Amino acid sequence: MTWLVWRQYRLQAAAAAVLLAGFAAVMVVSGLQMASQWHAMLGTCTTGGGHSSCEGAPLGSTIGHDFEVLSVMVPAVLGIFFGAPLVAHELESGTSQYAWTQTITRTRWLTVKAGWLLLAAAVWGGAVAALVTWWSGPRNALYGNQFQPNYFDVQGIVPVGYAVFATALGIAAGTLLRRTLPAIAVVIGVFIGVRLFISDVVRQHYIPAVTSHMSFLSTPGTLARSWDLASGITGPNGQPLPQSSSVNSFNGVPLASLPHACQVLIGQASRQAMVAGDRCLDAAGYRVYDVYQPANRYWAFQGIETGVFVALAAVLLAITYAVVRRRDA
Amino acid sequence: MTAAIDTPAIQTRGLTKRYRRVTALSDCSVTIPEGRICALVGPNGAGKTTLLRILSGLARATGGAASILGGAPRQDPAFLAEIGFLAQEIPLYRRFTAEDHIGFGAHLNPRWDGASVRSRLGELGIPVDRPVGKLSGGQRAQVALALTLAKRPRVLLLDEPVAALDPLARRQFLGTLTAAVADSGGELTVMLSSHLVGDLERVCDHLVLLAASRVQLCGDTDDLLATHKILVGARKDTSALGRAHTIVHAERTERQDTLLVRLSGPVIDPGYEVADVSLEELVLGYMGAGGPPAYAHLTAIGEDR
Repeated sequence: MTWLVWRQYRLQAAAAAVLLAGFAAVMVVSGLQMASQWHAMLGTCTTGGGHSSCEGAPLGSTIGHDFEVLSVMVPAVLGIFFGAPLVAHELESGTSQYAWTQTITRTRWLTVKAGWLLLAAAVWGGAVAALVTWWSGPRNALYGNQFQPNYFDVQGIVPVGYAVFATALGIAAGTLLRRTLPAIAVVIGVFIGVRLFISDVVRQHYIPAVTSHMSFLSTPGTLARSWDLASGITGPNGQPLPQSSSVNSFNGVPLASLPHACQVLIGQASRQAMVAGDRCLDAAGYRVYDVYQPANRYWAFQGIETGVFVALAAVLLAITYAVVRRRDA
Repeated sequence: MTAAIDTPAIQTRGLTKRYRRVTALSDCSVTIPEGRICALVGPNGAGKTTLLRILSGLARATGGAASILGGAPRQDPAFLAEIGFLAQEIPLYRRFTAEDHIGFGAHLNPRWDGASVRSRLGELGIPVDRPVGKLSGGQRAQVALALTLAKRPRVLLLDEPVAALDPLARRQFLGTLTAAVADSGGELTVMLSSHLVGDLERVCDHLVLLAASRVQLCGDTDDLLATHKILVGARKDTSALGRAHTIVHAERTERQDTLLVRLSGPVIDPGYEVADVSLEELVLGYMGAGGPPAYAHLTAIGEDR
């Protein structure tokens, strides 16, 4: 059976290997350039108050960054090419009738086929993620944004979970719809929908976020590498002030909702006046707050998110097994 | 799976398959003894494919029971090893060569005989190293039959395998089939559906006729031919004849009646000329009788010959 899988998918395997090699070449070359650029910067940048003078400086090449961004689509591509045709193509071309009347149960047939393809997707997705993670090393060190959405999603182990999920999604959709093309459409739609829903709505709740309140006078502690969810100002009663995006705002809070005496100071451009404004707000009982997921939870979040997607994949595969076993070929 | 001496190769009792709106097979009861080549005939949509798919375990019946060599069709290697199934559209892996399929079969079947495929295809001059998608329809059917036989099944279920073939390829295909049955020493039973009654007459010794999703006729072809006659005579009232025998089909012109009759004894009325019936006439007579608007299909069968 393994032999059949290899014989059936060797062209896809060869194409996947070539694509991976091309991706690796770009990432390694641009990654090495970026690493030497980063080492040069380390010699010239100065660090103080938790901030580097190089913060915000450009680092890395455009093509490397493009490939990093594109890698977010890799799991969907695996779902389309490895997952969707797995059962659907056999049903479409009728070969399921040939395979399912050989001396092998449908369950074993599906286990071997899906097993190898899921493994291939995990390895492929994992290899891309490993390259992107390595490539991002200097940028992570400089920008500290690997916990932010879009960066979190292409590094570490979560891409493996996404790849397994997308492939299982393709297998299940192909089994239910019996045709490859509609299954591909489902993979694209559902994969993007689920990914966005989890990253925008669910992910921040894996572990309750930390809220820290700080005086306007304290030196701002660094939240580098953490995932900032919200920040603002609390009033004298300890409640966050309503935020607005208008021009006349301070830390996201409209100037009008701050004490008038302080407004005058904040409005001025001089550094002395700003310090006086901070003092004024502090004296009136105003505080700064931050809601965030601390940097040391990065791997916990990676693990939880991977688990969530692997669990979703398991549900899809269970449905696939039930349908393949019960339905007429 | 060892069958008792008198266990039929194929047996169904009240087999029924209902889809949401249509009934594809209704109360189908047939018995085919081991070692037979059974023709499964009937108009399009009569339920032939459904019956074969249920027997092979690819589809589930919604009612009744089927058994192959005493065991119900199921997803189990012990059952699957006993059957060979060839679907109508000959679904092989188009990019695979015959040799690839031989390897595939060797990995999946315990009683695999890959050498038989090579020698059979060698005799027919069919290349084993070309993708089967690039072979002609007749060659592909031969490859599929050789592969299905290499599995060494004891019950072979073939759905319209010769429908798309030219007369020469059809003859070769049926030749391969009869040779395989002869070689098996009575171990191999075949059920073969086809529109081409003329072809079946040469190779089959058993007949199942389905029309309008019901079994109209099931039995040994020699017995069936012996008990049916064509009566030709001047046009007259046939009710007396109908009481003594069963009139399956009547064709009436202004002057003459041609009747297909299942006899319950000798024909006494001297006004009829009694003639033997061919398998084709028998089949056509029953399809005309049972399948409501079967005439369209009858013409098609006539043309096919």
